[in-house]
Order: sequence, then structure tokens, then C-alpha cells
Amino acid sequence: MGCSSSVPDRSAGRIGGINPDNGGVVDAKNLKVKLVLLGDSGVGKSCIVLRFVRGQFDPTSKVTVGASFLSQTIALQDSSTVKFEIWDTAGQERYAALAPLYYRGAAVAVVVYDITSPESFSKAQYWVKELQKHGSPDIVMALVGNKADLHERREVPAQDGIDYAEKNGMFFIETSAKTADNINQLFEEIAKRLPRPSPS
Amino acid sequence: MLLSLLSKRSLNDDSRDAYGFTVRPQHIHRYREYANIYKEEEEERLQKWKTFLEQQVGSTSAHEFNEANTRDVVSEVTKQSNDPAETVSGESDDSNEPARNETVSGESEKRSDNDTEEEGIIPNKEAPVTTQHAKSLEVQTWAKISPSLDSIEQMLSTRVKKRKNMEGKTVKHGHNDLPAIDEAKSESEDADDDDDDKDEMDSVNASEVEISASDKMYPEPFFPRREELEFLVRGGVPKELRGEVWQAFVGVRTRRVETYYQDLLATKDDDASGGQEHDKYDLPEKWRKQIEKDLPRTFPGHPALNEKGRNSLRRVLSAYARHNPSVGYCQAMNFFAGLLLLMMPEENAFWTLVGIIDDYFEDYFSQEMIESQVDQLVFEDLMRERFPKLVNHLDYLGVEVAWICGPWFLSIFVNMLPWESVLRVWDVILFEGNRVMLFRTALALMDLYGPAVVTTKDAGDAITLFQTLAGSTFDSSQLVLTACMGFLTITEDRLQELREKHRPAILAAAEERAKGGRVFKDPKGLATKLYSFKHDPESIVKENKTETDKIDKMTNLDSHGANLDEILNGITVDSEVDSLPDLQEQVVWLKVELCSLLEEKRSAVLRAEELEAALMEMVTEDNRRELTARVEQLEQEVAELRQALADKREGEKAMLQVLMKVEQEQRVTEEARRFAEQDAAAQRYTVHILEEKYEKATASLTQLEKRAVMAESMLEATLQYESGQSKALSSPRLGRLESPRDMPIKKTGLLSFGLGWRDKNKGKPSNDGAPPDAETNGPQQ
Repeated sequence: MGCSSSVPDRSAGRIGGINPDNGGVVDAKNLKVKLVLLGDSGVGKSCIVLRFVRGQFDPTSKVTVGASFLSQTIALQDSSTVKFEIWDTAGQERYAALAPLYYRGAAVAVVVYDITSPESFSKAQYWVKELQKHGSPDIVMALVGNKADLHERREVPAQDGIDYAEKNGMFFIETSAKTADNINQLFEEIAKRLPRPSPS
Repeated sequence: MLLSLLSKRSLNDDSRDAYGFTVRPQHIHRYREYANIYKEEEEERLQKWKTFLEQQVGSTSAHEFNEANTRDVVSEVTKQSNDPAETVSGESDDSNEPARNETVSGESEKRSDNDTEEEGIIPNKEAPVTTQHAKSLEVQTWAKISPSLDSIEQMLSTRVKKRKNMEGKTVKHGHNDLPAIDEAKSESEDADDDDDDKDEMDSVNASEVEISASDKMYPEPFFPRREELEFLVRGGVPKELRGEVWQAFVGVRTRRVETYYQDLLATKDDDASGGQEHDKYDLPEKWRKQIEKDLPRTFPGHPALNEKGRNSLRRVLSAYARHNPSVGYCQAMNFFAGLLLLMMPEENAFWTLVGIIDDYFEDYFSQEMIESQVDQLVFEDLMRERFPKLVNHLDYLGVEVAWICGPWFLSIFVNMLPWESVLRVWDVILFEGNRVMLFRTALALMDLYGPAVVTTKDAGDAITLFQTLAGSTFDSSQLVLTACMGFLTITEDRLQELREKHRPAILAAAEERAKGGRVFKDPKGLATKLYSFKHDPESIVKENKTETDKIDKMTNLDSHGANLDEILNGITVDSEVDSLPDLQEQVVWLKVELCSLLEEKRSAVLRAEELEAALMEMVTEDNRRELTARVEQLEQEVAELRQALADKREGEKAMLQVLMKVEQEQRVTEEARRFAEQDAAAQRYTVHILEEKYEKATASLTQLEKRAVMAESMLEATLQYESGQSKALSSPRLGRLESPRDMPIKKTGLLSFGLGWRDKNKGKPSNDGAPPDAETNGPQQ
């Protein structure tokens, strides 16, 4: 299903005017960014967020309806901080109709797939295209292959992810929310790639 | 019904509430506080409901009785003919008999044919009456609700009457084949017709009219009590009645078509057992997969959702997906079905879900989720009207209302509010049979928590605050009361009006999406256009003109017809023009005309939008500047106050130090004084002792003196006597004369000694009694 924003133009126009701090910059040292997680249902979007924000992993987490919000601040080595305002969206296909509401104005998009599911990988590619079409033009995108702990059941080779990410100018990483592998690295790497305001 | 299976132990678990749901650790304390309140409320409302239902039965039983008799006759006839629609109505209980949870025998036979009840069908232990049934291992997925609720059900199920009849017909028509898809189609057509009626029926008066007009079966006397019932519902439905009352509200019995559910499941069993039969009734793979994915993620860890419970959930969801393919399965429905399964048997849950999703939330969870998007816009309108300050603040922070309320609406507050509150809101929603309560509750939450959110300075904080506060709305009565009483102007009519206003935009957007969304403007494009518009308002119009000119030129060249078509397709001309009669030229001309018109219209729309956007930007800019200034001012004030506070504190500290010093000094002096006092006391004591000694000494001295005087007088007397003797004897014994001569010498010696001693021993009078005695006595002997 071809998917662009289904939110009517009225609010689209309005938001363009209202939310100029897209990148959410507070000052040169302390950034504030809106981050949106997209991807097929059940690939572990909520788990990644929960691992990152609360350091927990719940193998039976709840279905996300609509979207849910969490925020987390990390400190970088150069003693600057980045506050992530994370929108975790619902994965089912039809909720894609509501996704523009959440990715509009996002400075970062994390597109997640499940390395044991080729289907989720193609869904990830769909999201990348969608973002290229309708997301902010300078959006930082990350492609994340989650459930890396299930490498015995892997069906999407890491190289596929790397290649696709490279082709689309994205940053690629494989993570495991279960073992916490690469979760913090993911967000730190994103933080490093954020466009910085020139210090004034 | 699953709820009744919960063991006491699992409910006593600290982290779960009375419904077996986990309470978030940060809320456990508050939940415990409210648990007692809930208990009290529960008792109270149970009493009220019982009284109400008794009265209800009392007032209608006579009527019911006759009716039931006649219907029984009818049902006996129709059961044979296997007509589902008729059988449903034939099922009405005789209200004099406690027929609760009893299974109609014909029904269970049919079910055993389908072989579906073996796994996961839940024995019904809800009422004590039925424990015998449970013991006899009778399994059932369908249970009739208590007859005392009949009248309520009849009253409210008029809302579904029309559709049910329709359904009955179609089912009858295709009874041997599976009617799922055909029927759903006819249903959705039907639904459109129904729409208007349903809306009207929501007000009490309208429904009364409707009923008396169309339905002579239900007597008038029920309706005056509707308001009373409404009041009771707002006070909450008692826990033990809730499952049945909800069914009555939704009109489950009227909706139900016998064996329909089993038939839906039967197809599923077929393809599950080997998948040979892939006919058109198959559950589409994507839904089956999605349902499987979501089963363990529905109320994870809930004690009642064990394997059996999950199987029930799977069946209900699959059956629904088949029943209404235009919706199929949508995330969120898993929670609804799960919730319903906790309170009622499986098939009842299915029909209740059908009622909720097909009617109350029609088109809400369908593929495009049109109505849910419409409702968001409607809600935003209402927010702007009701809470302009809050919305302005959210605008300023860059928070969209839909971010917060979208999940509330889509989940009907499940997982968003504490359970007690969710159920209380559902009570009202199911009773009213529309989404008004959804809006009212959301507005009530805004009312309750808006003031807190206005103080936030950051989008993330605002959203988090909303989420947290909503999650801690334990005061369910306050919430429902605020919602129902505080927003009376939010009515279904009003909502419909607003929905009509917003629906075209959403539909257009959906259509564009379907087409591929060429025309959709992304924010960036809009911004650029806005920019160019600001600088050169004519440019866009000019552009359009030149484009139209070009097309005009091209029209002259007939040979370029094919080319032209391409171009025209590119500009998305309505294909209907193609059907115009032969004359190519005319067609082309018309196309061009249409095209230019469309183009013009589009540019006009664009301009309007841009102007609006510009205006909005200006307004917000203005707003923001003002707010920033105010914030700055406030911040400055805060800083000043802080400085003052710090200064004061410093002064205080210095003062305190001085005070302490003084105190210390005082303490030292005090000590010194005490020492001095002690000294003085000691000295006084010694003085006292000395005085005593002195007195004693003086006393003994006087005694001594007395004795000395006595001794002297004795001595004198002796001397006188002696001299008298010697005179009388004259001196025959010369030797004896010597001694009187000695005597005076001795006497003076003794006297002088005594005085000298006294002088020497002044101040040391002790022990001086004896020696002087001895001394004085000595010479006497």
C-alpha cells in the first residue's frame, strides 16, 4: 500500500510553521532530538527503546497501539549531552497511515528489522523509501537489524543490511535488545552523526 | 469469564489488581489506597443495581411472561426449520426461571458437530447456580445472560435490530456455504443506511420514537427508566454483573446468529489441519500471522491468559477477521477481545466484539483507519474550543494533540488508564453505543491534567507528563463524573457535524495515498513554496498560466494527440472525460479546459494553504515571542528572588553564628558561676563546722573554768582548813608544816598552767574534757 501522510494538509501546513526546532537544538552542548522508530510488527522496536531507556528486557512486552513515547538523555565523551525524544510506533501495516504524524519533523529515524525475518527486511526498505519521500530532508537514518542473539535462525545476512544502508546513506548496526548488544552504541552513534549547530 | 478462573492466590499477588492485571510498580502504593475505595463503591453500586433490576423485573414480569410463552411456541416451530434469525428471538428466557447460563440443547448439539469446543472452551463458573453444570463437565462457549437484564437488553438492542434482520436473511440464504464474506459486504452496505438512524437514536427521545414506531414488541414502560439506568451506568456497573450488562448493552442476543460463530471457526480448523482447502473464506495469511504474533503480547503475564485463554482469544480474533474482512484484524482488537474474554464466555465475547467494532467503532480499525483519523481532527477542534490555553502551549512546544490522544482513542484507554477507570469508561461507552464518551473522557483528562502540563517547558516533558498522569488516574469516579457532567455539549450530533467537516480531507488524503500520493505536499515543499510565495505572490499563478498556455498550443497540433494524452495523464485528469463521444478534437479541448480548471483550482488551494500556513507561522511567531519575553521576565524575577533568598540566608547564618557564640559564652559563665557557688557552699560548710567546734570549745572552756573555780575554792577551803588545823594543833609535828607551804606554789602553777593551755588550745576544743579533769583531779588526791 503506497503510503504517504494521510494527515490533511491543514495540519501539515500548520506544523511546518510551528515546529521550527526540528532538530530540537537547545544549545551547542545540549542537543534535543526527536527520534522515531519504524519497522514491521514484532521486530522489537519497543524492546530496543525499553532496553535503552530503562535497561530492561521483557520477552513478553505488550503490543504497541498507536505509538508510545519515552525520552532518554545520554552524555557523550566531549561532555555534551543529547536528549532523545523517542516515538515508538505501532508496527502493523495499517498503522502506517498514522506514522507520518510521528515521523514528521523527526531528526532521526531508526528503521528496525528482524534478522530472522526477510519479510521485515523488505518492510524496512519500504520505510526507508517512505522517509526519503516524506521525511525531513536532512533526517538521520539508521538501519537496525535486531534480534542478533538469534543468529542461528538468521535469514537476513548482515551484508544485505550493510549494502542497503550504504546505498541509502544510512548508518547500519545489528543489535540485540535481549542481550543489550549494541543498543547503547546505536544511540551513541546516532548522537555523533547529528548535525551540530556551529558554536556561537 | 476467564476472570472467574483466576485463583485467589494469583489475585493476592501484590503487583496485580482485582482484575489480574499488573499494576505498575510506581503505582502500587496509590492502587492500594484506592483499592478500599473501590471496594466500598462496589458494594454500594451492587446494592443499587440489585434494587434497580428487581424493580425492573417486577414491573415487567407480567408482560414478559405472556410474551415469552408466545415466543416459545414460535421458537419450537422455527427451531426445526433451522432458521437462525428466528431462533435467536426464540431464545428469550422465561423470566420466572433462573435460566442463567443454561445452554439451549439444540445449540449444543450443533456445536458438537463442529467439533470445536474441545480445546480451550471455558467452563462457566460465574454464578453459584451453574457450578453443577461445571461439575458435570458440560462445556459451553455461549451463555445467555441473566433474565433480569432482559429489559435493558431489549431497550438497547433496538439499536441493532435492523441490521440483525438483514443479517438473518443473508445467513439463511447461504447457510450451507459459509456466508462470511458475502454477508459482511451486505452488512457494510447496510451499515451506511443504518448510520443516520443510529445517530438519531442516541438521544433518549429519538430512541423512544423509533421504538414505538418500529417495534411494537417492546412495551413503552421500559423507557422512562432509561435515565435512571444512565445514572447507574455512570456510577459504574458492578463487577459481577459487568460481563452480562455489557452484553445487554451491546445487544448480543439480538446480534447473535446461531452457529455463525462456529461456522466461522470451522473454516479455520480446516485450513489449520492441513491447509488443503484454500477457498475464498480463508483467513488471509497476514492476519493469521499478526494474530499469532500478538497473542502472547496481549496482557502478557495475566494469569487468566494461559494457553486455554490464548486459544479462545485466537478463535475470537480469527472469527472476527473472517466475519468482517474490511477490518480483518487490527492491533488493539487483541486487547478488546482479551478484556471481553475475561468477563464472558467465548462466543458472547465474539458478538460483543462484533457490536463494538462493527457499530460503535465502524471504520475505525479498518484498513485506512479513516474514522480514527477523522476523530483526531474532531478532537483537536474540540480541544481548541475548550482548552485554548493548553493547546496554545502544546503548539508552542511543538506537541500535536493527536500524539497524545491518538493512542487513547485507538486503544479505548486500555493500557492507558488504570483498569478500574478503563472499565468505568467502557461501561458508559457500551451503554451509549457511540464514541461520545471517548471524547468526553479525553477532554476530562485534559481538564484534569492540562494545568500541570501547561507548566512544562519541553515537548518531551509534556508528553511524558500526560502519559504518567493518565496512567495514575485511579479516581475513576471523578474521571467519569467529570467526563459525563463537564462536557454535556459534546453530543453525538455535534461530533457528527464536525466529522462531516473533517472527513473529506482525510478521505482525499487516503485516496492520494492509494494513488501513490503524487500531489501530497511534504513540509519541505510547502515551506519552499511559502518562501517563494512570500517573495513573489504572483509566481505560482504565472507558472500555472504558462503551463496552460503550453497546453493550449499543443492542442492545436492534432498529430500530438498521443503525446498530449501522456501529459494529461501526468496531471491526473479525471478519467471520466475519456468516455466522451468520438470527436477527438472536442475531447482534447474539453480535457484541456478541465485541466486548466483543475490546475487553477489546485493553485488556488495551494495559495490558500500557504496563506494559512503563513498566518499560522506569524501567529505562532508572535505568540512565541510574547511567551519568550514573558518567560524571560519570569526567569529574571525568579533569579532575583533566588538572590534575595540567598542573601537572607547568609544573614541568617551570620546571625546564627553570633547567637551561638553568645550562647557559648553564657554557658561558660554559667559554669564558672556554678563552680563558685560550689566553692562558696564548701566554705560555708567549713565555717559552720568551725563555728560548731568553737562553740564546743567555749563550752568546755567555761566548764573548765567552773571546775578550776571549784578546784580553787576547794583548794582555798582545804588551805583554810589546813591552816585552821595547824593553828589548833600548833606545831607538834613540824614536818607537816612543810606541805602547806608547798601548796600555794602548786596552786599558782596549776592555774597558770590551765590558762596557758587554754590559750594554746583555743580553736581546738575537742578532747579537752578529760585531761584537764585528770589534771584538776590529780592535785586533789
